[in-house]
Amino acid sequence: MIGKRAASVGLLLSLLVTSGCWDSSEVNDIAIELAWGIDAADNNRIRISAQTIVPSKFSGGSNMGTGGGGGGKGKPYFVVSSDGLNTLDAVQRMQTKLSRRMFRGHRRVIVIGESMARRGIKEIFDTYSRDPNLKLRTDMFIVKGSTANDLLNVSYPLENIPGLGVLGEYGQMGTPQEVGLLNFLLAATSDGASMCLPTIVIGMNNASQGAQESEVRSNADKEEGFRIAGSGILDKELKLVGFLNLEESRAMRWVTGNLKKLTVSEQVPGEDGNVSIDLQRTRSRIQPAMQGGRLKIHITLTGRGAIRENNTRLDLTRTANIKELQKALNRHVEETTLRTIMKVQQEYGTDIFGFSDVIRRKDLSLWRSVKDDWEEEFRAAEVTVSANLTVRRIGVTGPALQLNPKEIKK
Amino acid sequence: MRIKSVQQPHQAELSTELSANEKALREAFQACSDIVFRPICFNPKILLIYVDGLIDAPTLEKVVIKPIQYEGGSGGTNEEPLSGEAVRNRLVALSQIQTVSEIDKVIDGVLKANIGLLVDGDNRALIADLKGFEFRSIEEPAAEISVRGPRDGFTETLRINTSLIRRRIRNPKLKMEPIGIGQFSQTDIVISYIEGIVSNTILEEVRSRIGRIRIDGVLESGYIEEFIEDSTWSPFPQIQNTERPDIVCAALLEGKVAILIDNTPFVLIVPMTFWTGLQAVEDYYERSIYTTFVRFVRYSLFNIALLLPSLYVALSTFHQQLIPTNLLISIANSREGVPFPTFVETLLMEFMFEGLREAGIRMPKAVGSAVSIVGALVIGQSAVQAGIVSAPVVIIVATTGIASFAIPRYNFGTAYRLLRFPVLVLAGLLGLYGIVIGVFLLIIHLINLSSFGVPYMSPVVPQVPNGLKDVFIRAPRWTMNRRPALFSGRNKTRIPKGQQPSPKRGGAGG
Repeated sequence: MIGKRAASVGLLLSLLVTSGCWDSSEVNDIAIELAWGIDAADNNRIRISAQTIVPSKFSGGSNMGTGGGGGGKGKPYFVVSSDGLNTLDAVQRMQTKLSRRMFRGHRRVIVIGESMARRGIKEIFDTYSRDPNLKLRTDMFIVKGSTANDLLNVSYPLENIPGLGVLGEYGQMGTPQEVGLLNFLLAATSDGASMCLPTIVIGMNNASQGAQESEVRSNADKEEGFRIAGSGILDKELKLVGFLNLEESRAMRWVTGNLKKLTVSEQVPGEDGNVSIDLQRTRSRIQPAMQGGRLKIHITLTGRGAIRENNTRLDLTRTANIKELQKALNRHVEETTLRTIMKVQQEYGTDIFGFSDVIRRKDLSLWRSVKDDWEEEFRAAEVTVSANLTVRRIGVTGPALQLNPKEIKK
Repeated sequence: MRIKSVQQPHQAELSTELSANEKALREAFQACSDIVFRPICFNPKILLIYVDGLIDAPTLEKVVIKPIQYEGGSGGTNEEPLSGEAVRNRLVALSQIQTVSEIDKVIDGVLKANIGLLVDGDNRALIADLKGFEFRSIEEPAAEISVRGPRDGFTETLRINTSLIRRRIRNPKLKMEPIGIGQFSQTDIVISYIEGIVSNTILEEVRSRIGRIRIDGVLESGYIEEFIEDSTWSPFPQIQNTERPDIVCAALLEGKVAILIDNTPFVLIVPMTFWTGLQAVEDYYERSIYTTFVRFVRYSLFNIALLLPSLYVALSTFHQQLIPTNLLISIANSREGVPFPTFVETLLMEFMFEGLREAGIRMPKAVGSAVSIVGALVIGQSAVQAGIVSAPVVIIVATTGIASFAIPRYNFGTAYRLLRFPVLVLAGLLGLYGIVIGVFLLIIHLINLSSFGVPYMSPVVPQVPNGLKDVFIRAPRWTMNRRPALFSGRNKTRIPKGQQPSPKRGGAGG
């Protein structure tokens, strides 16, 4: 009995030494990195930049202690960067500039410079899925017209950590958050589908959008803020081949089912004015078919929403008027979507809409027949779009209140 | 009261000679200044022996001495001497009288606050009960307070305590078995139970475990508890103690056994389960919905009391990934410049909190407030301001402290307060892995534990579905139709079914 008990105690105690969990580290011994940048460097090397928080500079914390030095002065973050053969090599070099161990478990954002994206990220992306310390709930962005390092250095007025500002802006677009890296990895392994990453541009003014790249770059440190600017299209080699603007990328997200909310505005034909609808529950349905040796894809977009702005003279309490609005909005959505798809088909030939996955799921034999030259099939596919938006609510007034009753069209 | 004596120094019988008896008794009570020998000059001679201070002296004068002296020999002094029997008949005013014929029985009786009455020419003595010592009156128990419920609490006097129970259960099936324990203290102990409801095996076990005790003195129920509990090397109490008669009566009605001990207001109740440690008396007096909610709060706090400091240490030193980003940033912010590792910091603060609690209990009331001021200001404010400890740790320790006081049974709470430290050490060494090890060991221990043969975790492990009505929820009283299956006797039905109140019930038509 005694021997048995001693043996079990011994076994239990051995648990303490056999485990590999001796990697404890204090919170003030780690450099918490929230945003991560990848840029191309010379000689096929890469440059890694990390936006690391400076905890003592955070205001609102209760630290009145000696080490704090008072919160709120100076930027609560700093950017450190280093070149390297690959990511870990760069991180090791970066570590020589950091007094605390780089902690990558809280990374929220990965931004990729445009030049890096054009070079292709297939070769450098293994570590992001291999390292157990990294989380998959990270979003990825391409910095259009600039480097990731520049973007990370830009301050952002609303957030303490600019990296989180990127995330917030992205979330306001109505796209599911924190699945960027996961979706990226899924799409990269898919047979036919190509990847699209959201793009971000330094500067909050639309004016600088058209400016020369070099100009933007030189203004980087003066410029404040950044904005989401659409999407970047990657081909199967994960090289950046082109961009979609905001409207196109919204259409693309709607088709792929990655859009939760959207505002559609359109001029109403035959009326002197326009309307806006706030759409919720946006859904899409993709129906592929082979007809006469030609791939036909029919896309149905549905959504329901509330009219939030009505600059026409229509009285929205009349169902006939609502029908008219719906028709106009449907046509607008159909046109935009079709235009986007055709642009991608003709210019890039990359299936960023996930048609290939849908075909594989719905009709495996069809997929097998088109799989081998999918890019050609995609380019040649005849795509039709029909939208079916439902107006559920019209707000609290029928006609616009400022209108004279005589002006209202019943 | 018949009390089995452990001490047998004098085997001698009483003689018929009063002087011989007196000599023997005086020898036994040599140098006992509180023993009074009071001879009454009468025919025959009578000797009263009692302990000064334990006897109701005025009543003694009124009901014993006066009747004998003045009304005694009804026919005058020349009459035939009274026999012991005759004297006894004259003392009907006394409640309990017994006749003994051994000297040591007389001694025993006198020491237990009785009057010994010896009559010359009679080889038997009378032991009459005339207790009249000072005792504390019935007050509200300080350690078990309830908003709703009876306010009386047990006192140090056994008879008062038994009367408090008898007043609540007026049935001859309520038994009060006396036992005397302690070679020197000769403490009266009463085993109380309700015949038919109690499980005979448990009752037998209680009797035999108490009967086995050999001890010099019993000064508190804790002495008995340590002799009869199942597992000494467990932090968990396996015997419940209470100062409230309503709790004892509720336990008796469930089929438990109560052990009342003289000179302490704390009554022991066996068997105890884990869940009784988490049930407060008011649970049964307040509305069941509210009680269910309160139990949910209590169980949560109870887990917080055990795990919160360990979780903080484990998450902030091993698994920073699991902390929400903004929280991690503010933790990092407040930890800037703190000289100790989180584990040491937490251990230090937990230790200080235990110190504060201990000091607060022992402090005289007059300086008690000083402790709280020093505690709140020095530990809380200054330590954070000086950067010795970080604010989150102070919050964690304070929350844990409050949570540990939400456990209704004080000695059950101490078990958790104690276990917090090993779990904290495991968390500091191994992170969440260590906490999981700690919790597993704890659960294994709890499931192994039993109290008088009843599994400690019952009715959850092993599961008794009917018993679950009073574990995580508190079902309305009319649904608790049966007594606990594992420790009640033959009579299992508690409340007849079909008593759900409703205006339509009984055809009254509301």
